[in-house]
Amino acid sequence: MNGNIVIIGGGIAGMEAAKALLALGHTPILVEASRTLGGHVASWHKLFPDMSSAKNLTARLQSEISGANIFTDTRVISLNRLVDGYSLKLSNGIVINASALLFATGFNLFDAAKKEEYGYGVYDRVITNSDLEAWFSGKEDRRVPKVPESIGFVHCVGSRDLKACNGQCSKVCCATAIKQAIEMKERFPYAKVYCFYMDLRLFGKKYEDFYVNAQRDYGIQFIRGRVSEVGETFDGRLQLKAEDTLSGKPLKVCLDLLVLMSGIVRNRSIEELSDMAGLETDSDGFLRSADNEYAVIESNRPGIYYAGACTGPKTVPETVAEARSAALAIHSYLESL
Amino acid sequence: MTERFTTGFHPFVIPFLAGMVFVLGVCLIKAVIAVRELDGTDRKKWFLSLLHPNLIVKNTIDIILDCLIHVRLWKRNRLLGFMHSSIAFGWFMIILLGHLQVLMFFPERLGTFYYPIFFDYFIEGGQHTWISRIMDGFLILVLAGISLAIIKRFWSRIFGMRRTTRPTLYNLIGLYSLWAIFPLRFLAEQCARAGDLSVSLWWAYSIALCIFMVVLPFGRYLHIPAEMLLITFRNAGVGITRPHKGMARVQADSCPNCGVCIDACPMNADPANLKDSTVYLTRQFRRGNRERVREISDKCLLCGKCTSVCQVGVDGPRLRILARAARKYNIAPDFSDAGTATVVRAENKVLYFSGCMTALTPKTGRSVESILKKAGIDYEWMDRDGGLCCGRPLHTAGRLKEASQLVRRNEELIIGSGAAVLLVSCPICYREFKENYRLPGIRVVHYADYFCELMDKGLLCFEKSDACYVFHDPCELGRGCGIYETPRKLISKAAGIAEAPKNREESICCGGSLGSLSLDFSRREKITRASLENLYGSKADAIATACPLCLATFSRYSDRPVKDLAQIIDEQTEKI
Repeated sequence: MNGNIVIIGGGIAGMEAAKALLALGHTPILVEASRTLGGHVASWHKLFPDMSSAKNLTARLQSEISGANIFTDTRVISLNRLVDGYSLKLSNGIVINASALLFATGFNLFDAAKKEEYGYGVYDRVITNSDLEAWFSGKEDRRVPKVPESIGFVHCVGSRDLKACNGQCSKVCCATAIKQAIEMKERFPYAKVYCFYMDLRLFGKKYEDFYVNAQRDYGIQFIRGRVSEVGETFDGRLQLKAEDTLSGKPLKVCLDLLVLMSGIVRNRSIEELSDMAGLETDSDGFLRSADNEYAVIESNRPGIYYAGACTGPKTVPETVAEARSAALAIHSYLESL
Repeated sequence: MTERFTTGFHPFVIPFLAGMVFVLGVCLIKAVIAVRELDGTDRKKWFLSLLHPNLIVKNTIDIILDCLIHVRLWKRNRLLGFMHSSIAFGWFMIILLGHLQVLMFFPERLGTFYYPIFFDYFIEGGQHTWISRIMDGFLILVLAGISLAIIKRFWSRIFGMRRTTRPTLYNLIGLYSLWAIFPLRFLAEQCARAGDLSVSLWWAYSIALCIFMVVLPFGRYLHIPAEMLLITFRNAGVGITRPHKGMARVQADSCPNCGVCIDACPMNADPANLKDSTVYLTRQFRRGNRERVREISDKCLLCGKCTSVCQVGVDGPRLRILARAARKYNIAPDFSDAGTATVVRAENKVLYFSGCMTALTPKTGRSVESILKKAGIDYEWMDRDGGLCCGRPLHTAGRLKEASQLVRRNEELIIGSGAAVLLVSCPICYREFKENYRLPGIRVVHYADYFCELMDKGLLCFEKSDACYVFHDPCELGRGCGIYETPRKLISKAAGIAEAPKNREESICCGGSLGSLSLDFSRREKITRASLENLYGSKADAIATACPLCLATFSRYSDRPVKDLAQIIDEQTEKI
């Protein structure tokens, strides 16, 4: 075989892997379905916990992989297994024979409209975490009021929720909610900001500090209890009903803006592709790793590797680490052929 | 035609007589127990009904049509209908004509009871009368029915039944003795007519009858006498008011174990629930297995499909609700002073009650409001900012006292509003309002009916879309309240409409029902998917329903859009 490497997906996982493979002397082929590289991170404003710019990260990565063959706005439309590799046909008509493939196909955000009780798409003042990031980045959004007096964040929208057909934890939304709450508080110091959570899972480095800061320095109120329903008052504000499970009392809050922390769900658009490649799906719907302790980046097929959120929700540093490790694994695999 | 023996007796009649005395005695005792267990008012109602000429006629007609001819079974499955009515009606006619024959020719022997049964043994040349020939005809009919029954026992699929009950030992003994009775009678008669008076066949015939009658009170065949009592109870207006007792007992005894409810039950999308259909509930009722009764009762979705297909009208959901009501709770919430919300004023207006579930599907409430505005209706939204529960979930959980506390509070609020019409969008609430509320002077109406009226009055102007919907009949709206036509009429104005293979009375529960107390989420998923498969069976590209719970449940798994009827109407109407 020719030693070609195809990376499917041009988010930070795909780009970081391309960068590492270039450094190892390969010329990977990067295929990205959308028009621009960067994936979800490119549409994010700042990253936790250091509040560094997400755009800088993706722009830097992009400049570092100019040596790779990059196809944007291109999909893999068919994939055949050969004796010693894979044959891919792209939507631009190009056929590539590859020795190794890297799935860096990422995730989808949960469609918040499916939780109709939260009123996304029904009421004017309900947005999602990604809408808010877009607004932070300067995109116009008439749903965000000029000077909101009170803002609510709902954690776990479509994650850890069997009724939404997603049992798994999305891992990053707790910290994202805290980050966004702080950012809102910085913009609107007089607004009351509430976070409605069922558990706070602040496992990463400095996440706990982040949480303490939010409470101590920004006065953000954390209420443990799931939101039961959201209604609209006659003057167009939102009325949210929840239970404060720590005090054991039901509560009603009037809000000017509600932000839903849409969770991470599997990328449904790759189902056909993963079937063609003969890849297995895990019980949570994400791609199944060879094992979930020691070989997360390995698949059940020779020469196919994974990086990032295609195997489950991941943070940025985890994704980057997996991408480098997958690049090294591909390098060793090609050496062994 | 002459008598063969002056004594008119042979010991082989003893098993028959003993069985007869036994079965009549047991049935009488059971009937007395059931009547004694009725509430005082119900008992009085029943006694009076037995004297009422109209009800006497109705009872008689119902007993003939249901118990002998099996009209309902004919409508459902002709082959099964023929099988059952040939045995029941044929046998009844043989008994009736047999007695008539004795009355006509040997009236002094009528008191023996056994003469009509063993006629050809005691009488020589009896076969030549016209009455005997008719009886022979009926015996052939019964034998045809029995042959079908034997085929069905081993090959039920040709009768269109996918699943049937596993018979108990008593039922098997009863079944085999029933199969034996008629061929034995036929052979014994033919031998006697040919002059062979050996008694062995007559003994066998009598013993088969005896076995059948002795096991009758312990197995499925108890339904024969019980159904007659059930019909008189039902016609007298007696309801199920006590768990396990009175009407509940008679309904359980009336279950013929035919198993039609097994195929009908939506829970059987998961084989783990196969033993939780109503037929097994009645079986466990009879056995007095309280633990299994509780388990089966708690699991049920209360969709009511078993009742809609039941041949004798066993009310499975009601039996279960009362079985749940028998449970003792340590904590009983008190709602008697619930609802401090101020009374909404709606003098002579439409008062809209959206209910708790609609708060979770806000598009529905908004659509109802928008339609009312378009039609220029003067309305108030009673629970826009939250209100009291209608009481249905507590009611179905068997917490009847707590439910009635909520009902009384809501009645006060609704009557206090001065409204003329109570408009309801949730069929779960609607059924509770219909069945358990007393709202004098206030019309309670579901929005499907109400919007249909507005459409007929020309207050709603439709623009037909290209979409095609299949309407899912929600259990509480269709089987619960009998509303099938108005939703379809509205959809056909707004868009195309298609029908699912199982619809209307046979609609399959969405699986989200509040009725079940013990089915967990993953097990409901199988039911939901089975229900969706049925809807996918239509040519429609979208699903319409008129229940917030069905909407939320289907939206979770459906691969095509699901909308509430109100939303469809709102999208396709314009302000006049």
